[in-house]
Amino acid sequence: MTLESYLLVGAALFSLGLIGALSHRNLIAVLIGIELMMNAASLNLMAFNRFVVTDPTTGQIFVLIIIGLAAAEVAIFLSIILRIYRAYHDIDAEKLTKLSG
Amino acid sequence: MLEQAVIYTFVAFVLIGGGLAAFSRQILYAIIGLGISLLGLAGLFLNLGSPFVAAMQVLIYIGGITVAIVFAMMLSIAMSIRPPDPDARKLGFAIACAVIFFGAVAHLIRGAQFQQIASPASEKAWSVGALGHALLTHYNVVFETLSLVLLLAIIGAILIARKALPKENS
Repeated sequence: MTLESYLLVGAALFSLGLIGALSHRNLIAVLIGIELMMNAASLNLMAFNRFVVTDPTTGQIFVLIIIGLAAAEVAIFLSIILRIYRAYHDIDAEKLTKLSG
Repeated sequence: MLEQAVIYTFVAFVLIGGGLAAFSRQILYAIIGLGISLLGLAGLFLNLGSPFVAAMQVLIYIGGITVAIVFAMMLSIAMSIRPPDPDARKLGFAIACAVIFFGAVAHLIRGAQFQQIASPASEKAWSVGALGHALLTHYNVVFETLSLVLLLAIIGAILIARKALPKENS
């Protein structure tokens, strides 16, 4: 596969993640959409790393950093979900309107 | 020929899993779709020449993050058992956004001229040894910052998710 087809796969995956993050009301489904978008970014970085960059360690380290940050993000997001569930007994994004005024 | 077939299988994994994750109303199916998509992505990383990143993808994403999401689903079960009715207007808006984004990016990719290297770098430059050497010399600050971020995330997650102490209730 060429660089362009990898980039198109990455764009398609990002679009699917966008649909998941925007269309769902369940906070966990929103998180899954965000994960898909991060992975699309990783795929783009790896494709550029293979086809454009002369030193291939750079892109791999970028992707490793993305994976580490995603792990940290998921830990925080899930603990916030647990906190919300304890306070509202629901994780519906449209019911969290206490601050909407 | 066989190699092409394997690559397209991985691409199909990525897109079908992503579709399952994006459109499924049942949250468990969405998590399974995420796992399938990540597995296909690990295969693509392998094909792009990096076995180490593919292994980390399987270990951390599929083995760690997906399982953590399943745990969170089980701990906040109410909405996962009774998924809310689909909101056609919201779904239409999301699909419109995604189509516009994909169209714009595909147009950009078609028009762009990339300075591609003639041949991929040598096997040695892709090895785990080279990666570890770069992480501990040139990218040392990044490595240390990442470990600090992970430590803070662990402490923050514990602080946010713990039950309130009795004296805080008064």
